[in-house]
Amino acid sequence: MGLTRYKRWSIFCLACLALPAAAQGVPGDAAADPGVATMTLTPRVVVNSGRLEWEPFSRDLSPWPTLSHQDQRPTQKPRRVTLNGPLGGDPARGRELALRRDKGYCVVCHQLPGEQWPGTFGTSLIGYKLFRHSDQDVYQHIFDARVNNPNTAMPPYGSNLILNDQEIRDLVAYLQSLE
Amino acid sequence: MKTRLFAWVFLLGLGPALATAQAPYREYDAMEDYMPHARGDLMLSGSYRHWSDPRSLDWRMAGDPDQNWKLNWKFMDPPFNGSVHGGHFALDRGEEVFTELNGKGRFAACLGARQGQLKGLRTRYPMYRADLRRVVGLEEVIEVCGAREGRELQNGSYDNSAVSLYVASKSAGLPMAVKVAEGPMKQAFERGRRLFHMRTGRSNLACSTCHTHRVGQQLRSVTVTTPYGDAAHFPVYRTRFQLQSLHLRFMECNLDSGTQPLRPGSRAYTDLEVFLSALTNGYPVSVPSERN
Repeated sequence: MGLTRYKRWSIFCLACLALPAAAQGVPGDAAADPGVATMTLTPRVVVNSGRLEWEPFSRDLSPWPTLSHQDQRPTQKPRRVTLNGPLGGDPARGRELALRRDKGYCVVCHQLPGEQWPGTFGTSLIGYKLFRHSDQDVYQHIFDARVNNPNTAMPPYGSNLILNDQEIRDLVAYLQSLE
Repeated sequence: MKTRLFAWVFLLGLGPALATAQAPYREYDAMEDYMPHARGDLMLSGSYRHWSDPRSLDWRMAGDPDQNWKLNWKFMDPPFNGSVHGGHFALDRGEEVFTELNGKGRFAACLGARQGQLKGLRTRYPMYRADLRRVVGLEEVIEVCGAREGRELQNGSYDNSAVSLYVASKSAGLPMAVKVAEGPMKQAFERGRRLFHMRTGRSNLACSTCHTHRVGQQLRSVTVTTPYGDAAHFPVYRTRFQLQSLHLRFMECNLDSGTQPLRPGSRAYTDLEVFLSALTNGYPVSVPSERN
């Protein structure tokens, strides 16, 4: 009797210890596979088959919260930052980052000089220098634009770890060079 | 002694469990005034007047890249679109699989057909199924009922979507009629509405970030369209992909906007399906359809 109760309690307590540990990570209903290098999966539909095949997606999207009801990971809160020291950004590298799909991809929403099919969500960035925004303000807006507008569509590049400090500096240098 | 030890272990385990029971920080500011009918779009984008009647679309708008988004891409649905495409082949496959499984009429009954009649069945899905004790979409039921007949029809697979397409074709032209006024369906609609407005993923975007007040604006060459009246043409043949169920479309949306997708048939996707299907009420089922 004593042993049975011991077993029952220990199983229960193992479950309550394991529950929060599992809840920290990727939810169980996510299309993710730890055996795949990028973790995230994309479906492949095979004609005349009752099975859905899966392929690795080009990028790992698993570190950020999903739509799942089981997902217990919080969204990063808006973060105010200070630009320390001289800017030290490279406009050429900044432009490269502004066009890369896996980095800034600013052109999906903003108009950039020399680019076809700009998005219309954000303001045109042509002649950005003429706004005379301070480097600090531009840095903050790229790092986390929610500080200025909680309803913004702009991704929080710094808070969500999409761009690092130097990459944001490069982008600021590029934007401040646009005449 | 032993009992005291167990109590300590129990409390140690309970602490973190209670801590995570608190809701994590989320960002959403859900709009309240959604109408469970396609004409609710008149309060949002106003494009409804251009696509409310699928039989009389303005063909000149369909040919104009600056205007065609106002038709909500309905010009790729029948009867406007009379071309033969992959959706028709899928329809044939769906009929074949359905006939194979429905030898004794059990499969149709399992799907929820009244007296074996498939007519109108698609317009009632997603629905609450008391026997399954949950809200389910048509594709999820097809997977369950296929398994009962000993056939693997995974949610999102070609055969599953093909059967769904065949069932939908029997309701072609009938208006969607998903009831979300009360009970579990109302709860699912409310969860779906909140999910639609909840920011997720790498780019911290919600569906609503683009598909409410930015309808008509452009993301590169793509023009954002209204969420109203968009669930009636699924499963759809995608010219750059394959036969695609609504849940696979959600996966594609998630991947494109930088959010880890969920598996087809997950609760969250089903709630979103309820929400979007209710916003399509009153619009006729339009299959087989294609999209680019």
